[in-house]
Amino acid sequence: MHAQTLSQPTLASHLRALFALVRKDWKQYWRYPLNAVSAMFHPLIWIAPIYFMGLAFSINGKAEGFAQFSGTTDFMSFILLGTVLENFINAVFWGMGYALKNDMDSGVMESNWLTPIPRLLILVGHSVTNLVVTMITSIGMLFFAGLIFGFHPTGNLWAAFAPVVPMMIGLYGFGFAFAAVVMLLRDANALVDMSSFLVQTFSGSTFPVNALPRFLLPVALALPLTYGLDAVRSRLIGTTTILPLPWEMVLLVVFMFVMLWVGMAAFRSLERRVRVLGTLGQH
Amino acid sequence: MSQLSVPSSLGRPGALGGLRATWAVIRREWTIFIRYPSWIISMFIWPIIFPLGYIFTARALSGVDGSGLATFQQNTGLTEYVGYMAVGTMIWMWQNIVLWQVGYALRNEQMRGTLESNWLSPTARFSYLFGASVPQLISVLMLMTVAGLEYALLFGVKFHGSLWLAALVMLAAVPSVYGLGFAFASVVITAKEANAFVFLARGIVMVFCGVTYPLAIQPQWMQDVAAWLPQTYVIHAMRSAALSTDGWAGIARDLGMLLLFGLFWLAAGYALFLWMERRARVTGAIGQY
Repeated sequence: MHAQTLSQPTLASHLRALFALVRKDWKQYWRYPLNAVSAMFHPLIWIAPIYFMGLAFSINGKAEGFAQFSGTTDFMSFILLGTVLENFINAVFWGMGYALKNDMDSGVMESNWLTPIPRLLILVGHSVTNLVVTMITSIGMLFFAGLIFGFHPTGNLWAAFAPVVPMMIGLYGFGFAFAAVVMLLRDANALVDMSSFLVQTFSGSTFPVNALPRFLLPVALALPLTYGLDAVRSRLIGTTTILPLPWEMVLLVVFMFVMLWVGMAAFRSLERRVRVLGTLGQH
Repeated sequence: MSQLSVPSSLGRPGALGGLRATWAVIRREWTIFIRYPSWIISMFIWPIIFPLGYIFTARALSGVDGSGLATFQQNTGLTEYVGYMAVGTMIWMWQNIVLWQVGYALRNEQMRGTLESNWLSPTARFSYLFGASVPQLISVLMLMTVAGLEYALLFGVKFHGSLWLAALVMLAAVPSVYGLGFAFASVVITAKEANAFVFLARGIVMVFCGVTYPLAIQPQWMQDVAAWLPQTYVIHAMRSAALSTDGWAGIARDLGMLLLFGLFWLAAGYALFLWMERRARVTGAIGQY
């Protein structure tokens, strides 16, 4: 009889590994339930000054100036949608890299790496709990923000998912590359903080990017997230888009394939480099 | 037999010994600060990128024809909205940095395992906290200067006010900003993991103190809360000193309030420190983390 060894993994064993990763992260997250409370209320602290700022610019309670750039005077729905999408972007974009950093700090990275599981699967596994938790906390955040500031989606929720799908899949590509950079640099907190802040700002999470000064507009247009945010807002709250909606969808799909390919190639190359250097267990 | 002079023992430290201890703490903290170049690089980058989101949102709210901006100017009395946001966010950053760095000064020593042994040395214990604040204040002054230059050069912000009055506002703000930091340090050393306190304190400043908007926009109950927060007066006075031509008249009342708040927070910070010190001796928990 030919026994199947651990070094000959199957699809079922991969799925079991994925499930184990998700369960571990899930248990770890809910061990500190205050984190979830913080994730719901913390964004409100950043949004509150924008709400009052919007009132300071409004004429008879309407953000007429904002409407000239975005096509809607409902600037709070615009910003709340941006915040929710940014939460999801952060969960995938930076979440995988942060999870690897946590593994390094808790000393389990090297042993996990020696298991016969595809390394990209480990990264994907780390993002699943993040995504589910982000969905729960974002719904809570939207609920409270809606009560305090008002949230008025008028479009079709399901239609708004269409641009989200290629955007999120494309983000996995970036997340793979970023996770590899974290493995190489080991402590990338300053880099992450600054770059995430810049990406968030230039993709237009709190303002329509056509309000940017002309010399900064190319930065926003080079980020695929800009088109994702733009398309979702257009479908849910009827804002005017930067490009015609079908073009934005095509761009998102192209970005999805390019980012996945680039991200996987970068991860494989940098991961090999880390193995050659033998720094996998260091942090 | 000639009488021998008795040297002052280590157990009876004098004022000079206290000063030397404080100087040693200042030197140590400064050495640690310049040991990490990424901290210095951050000092140049964060003042620029942090207010960007608010500045661009304000630009969008202004509208293509500037109609929103006209309303904002009516509400604030200032024409310079980039400078308005920049001053508010810089003061917020200052308080945030103090909460993390001064507030966690003793906690960091605790984590490094040096707090208990330092505590046993015959020095005034407050010098550990005070000494840690001095290099922090110097780095904040550098940050403010860099930020001012960056806003003037990159965003074309025109600081119509007086540099001396702005410096005076900073000086008047120091006791309340750092007094709060001292109080925080004692709470943190007692509560150990106190990130939530920092989030709460900086969140209150962000929401109530008019970081990006005039206070008159808020509902009355929020204005009443803001009146009890010293950062409200720091932000208002700094905007007036740096961006307007109102001169002394624009900041006199704020300075008075800041001095009162400063007295309160310094006293509260020191009292909390003494309480924490006594409690630590009773419970013996100073070395635990």
